[in-house]
Amino acid sequence: MKENTFARRYGLMILAGVVVGAAALILTAAGNPKNMGFCIACFERDIAGALGLHGAGKVQYLRPEIPGIVLGAMLSALSFREFKARAGSCPASRFVLGLFVMIGALAFLGCPLRMVIRLGGGDLTAVAGLLGFLAGILVGVAFLKKGFSLGRAYPVKRGEGLILPAVMAGLLALLLLAPGLLKFSEEGPGSMRAFWLISLATGLAVGFFAQRSRLCMAGGLRDVFLLRDFTLLAGFLAIWATVTVGNLILGNYNLSVLSQPVAHSQHLWSFLGMALAGWGSILLGGCPLRQLILAGEGSGDAAVTVLGMVAGAAAAHNFGLAGNPDSAADGVYQVGGIGTAGMVAVVIGFAVLLAVSLLHLPGKEEA
Amino acid sequence: MRRRIPRCVVSFHTTAGAMAAERLCRREGLEGKLISVPRSVTSDCGLAWSAPPELREILERRFREAGIEAAGFHALTL
Repeated sequence: MKENTFARRYGLMILAGVVVGAAALILTAAGNPKNMGFCIACFERDIAGALGLHGAGKVQYLRPEIPGIVLGAMLSALSFREFKARAGSCPASRFVLGLFVMIGALAFLGCPLRMVIRLGGGDLTAVAGLLGFLAGILVGVAFLKKGFSLGRAYPVKRGEGLILPAVMAGLLALLLLAPGLLKFSEEGPGSMRAFWLISLATGLAVGFFAQRSRLCMAGGLRDVFLLRDFTLLAGFLAIWATVTVGNLILGNYNLSVLSQPVAHSQHLWSFLGMALAGWGSILLGGCPLRQLILAGEGSGDAAVTVLGMVAGAAAAHNFGLAGNPDSAADGVYQVGGIGTAGMVAVVIGFAVLLAVSLLHLPGKEEA
Repeated sequence: MRRRIPRCVVSFHTTAGAMAAERLCRREGLEGKLISVPRSVTSDCGLAWSAPPELREILERRFREAGIEAAGFHALTL
């Protein structure tokens, strides 16, 4: 009988991590903001801005990476006969959870994927986010152990599963054929962008490999805590290693807590923001990247979650909830972070997640 | 290095289903353990119950009686 080999168990996952890490490096070299080669939260926020859903002029651009990920995952799922149109697992709760995951991520200034990419750039402010993410996942796992469930999804007509990929294809068509309908940042992170074809190609590659490997930042840590299984976590580590080595080679590695690109030093709120994102991701069954992949595989529930995240991004910038990066003005270093409104939103987010968690525990007769 | 052996892998529609199966099996002394659902079974990233193949019929019956909805029973070598 064949033996379990390292390559058989971890090979695809490590390959996916290397692809994602390399994609982040390529996109940064091609024009995306530093330490933000890939960020699901940031890019969905930019898309919300491009569509006029918020008015923050510095973060408006229809990032082709996001349609690329969804379409790459769809092509992979179709190619390997894994496209399954399904829905019906508490879509309203998922919308709200997606919204608060986004608010938490934007308080930190990045999704779990960008957190790893920031760490790979030497950004030590992301350590607070990592610790918060771990804490949030532990809370989510505790509720899983108590029986938390949003319920199962059921098969639906194939067209239902194609809705979000079709929306993404439509957004891409808007960017290429009718850019005048969209908003484009002229300064700030939204103005820093790779050529659209590079963005789309890397998005397609990431979507394809993430679908094949089931790469998930939250799922990796969930499996470690629940099962002592490190398979999914290997992808997480491969991204970090690839980005770290790439940045060292390219001279972009800056090990410091100060002056990091699009990051702030309000460590407590970085911790809490990512704790909110981690907890929400466990309740949703996957991190923001994984939601895009699931939507590409035909999950209507994940599609609703993605729409919730876009709504969360719009709310975060319309109501001043998102973090501001540290900056230097007249030679004085100014610590950024979130304001009072953002802090209130994060606290409300914890209350909402607690309510959703408690409301979806089994009754006494089910336990 | 661990040898690969035949297992009965039960997949579920939800994580809660897998954990309910674990509780039932622990309570009834049925051998097995929770695992990350194998990639060959599904592209989902949930949990599965891995048990000796000879327990398959018992598991099918007990899960059905307990109202635990399995997505599938798979004969795999893990």
